[in-house]
Amino acid sequence: MYATTYHKASSLDDAVAKLGGAEDGKFLSGGQTLLATMKQRLAAPTDLVDLTKIPELKGITLDGDTVTVGAASTHYEVHSSDAVKSAIPALAALAGLIGDPAVRNMGTMGGSVANNDPAADYPAALVGLNATVHTNKRALSADDFFTGMFETALEEDEVIVKISFPAPEKAGYEKFRNPASRYAMCGVMAVKLKDGSVRVAVTGAGSDGVFRVPEMEQALAANWSPDAVASITVSPDDMIGDLHGSPEYRAHLVTVMAKRAVAAAG
Amino acid sequence: MEMKGEYVIPASRETVWEALNDPEVLKECITGCKSLDKESDTEMSAVVQAKVGPVKATFKGNVTLSNLNPPSSYTISGEGKGGIAGFAKGGADVSLEEVEGGTRLSYEVTAQIGGKLAQLGSRLVDSTAKKYADDFFSCLSKKLGGGEPEGGTEASSS
Repeated sequence: MYATTYHKASSLDDAVAKLGGAEDGKFLSGGQTLLATMKQRLAAPTDLVDLTKIPELKGITLDGDTVTVGAASTHYEVHSSDAVKSAIPALAALAGLIGDPAVRNMGTMGGSVANNDPAADYPAALVGLNATVHTNKRALSADDFFTGMFETALEEDEVIVKISFPAPEKAGYEKFRNPASRYAMCGVMAVKLKDGSVRVAVTGAGSDGVFRVPEMEQALAANWSPDAVASITVSPDDMIGDLHGSPEYRAHLVTVMAKRAVAAAG
Repeated sequence: MEMKGEYVIPASRETVWEALNDPEVLKECITGCKSLDKESDTEMSAVVQAKVGPVKATFKGNVTLSNLNPPSSYTISGEGKGGIAGFAKGGADVSLEEVEGGTRLSYEVTAQIGGKLAQLGSRLVDSTAKKYADDFFSCLSKKLGGGEPEGGTEASSS
């Protein structure tokens, strides 16, 4: 790892100012992707601006039917939060499946979401649950926030402050893990919201990151059961192909994991 | 890795050909291209900053045009070194054909990477290379007065 200068931001304005003053700065949250990349010398920012000590980014609350998670909340905090467990148990369970204990105790929801790894779990949760991403500048729906593999609508000096989720009527997340990295080979979040709408979001499989499956959503809106999605398939054309699995294999997994997610939601 | 694709660009073959030989156009349409300087009619030197998620690497290298057969085809090839990140090299056979409503541009790309970038696995590399190709040709099409081009890129690992 090359030398870098560490800054601790005390407020949102302080974070933006410190990044603006850096030659080639990066925001740092839990560092579970960025620091590993820097150790590989595949990134060498001159300055790191730590966001995790900013008070607005901390804490998880339940207010009526809305769960709000501060962006610097670790995966472990989401997994063990009473608010999340009572309102969205599928989200608490998902957070417990991310990476390994070291990653869960350091990595944060805001960091994972801003990175938008195509195999990360949280993008499926945000899109499936129709979450809203609140930044220091604006509020964005999850559908608008994720724009492609490793790409989001975030600007260079934009900071995710918190993410709010409506408590669903039912939700289930199932993933087929890569046994080494624990990244999703395919993960599906199936959700029925309290307004009756259905959302199915897939991570790990699509070459452009998280995506929804409208055919499955329509079928489940008419008949919420694993059988409803059993014969619906996605095209392998847009799937990731790598040494862990071919595009055809991942396309097959989408249907299998969708069935399991619906079954898990009950 | 090999990729191929085709686009129909709503401009005459001569116009597309000129754009493909114009360093300014190439520079604007290669994502992350910091500089592209003409050394001769067929040689250019380039600096490209590649950014994929947390990875950021600057490649310095050369771009060469060969097999020139104006205004219907050429081979564009390049290689660059990204320091510790590794190296990348590749080439594309590009051909232009007059069709109704414009010019059909077809290309076949072969690309190789090595070093640490290659260790990231093809999950990132294939998707990224496809995105660079799609961005390049849709930018070119827009510059020549078209909207989103028809067609797209198919990638296959080998």
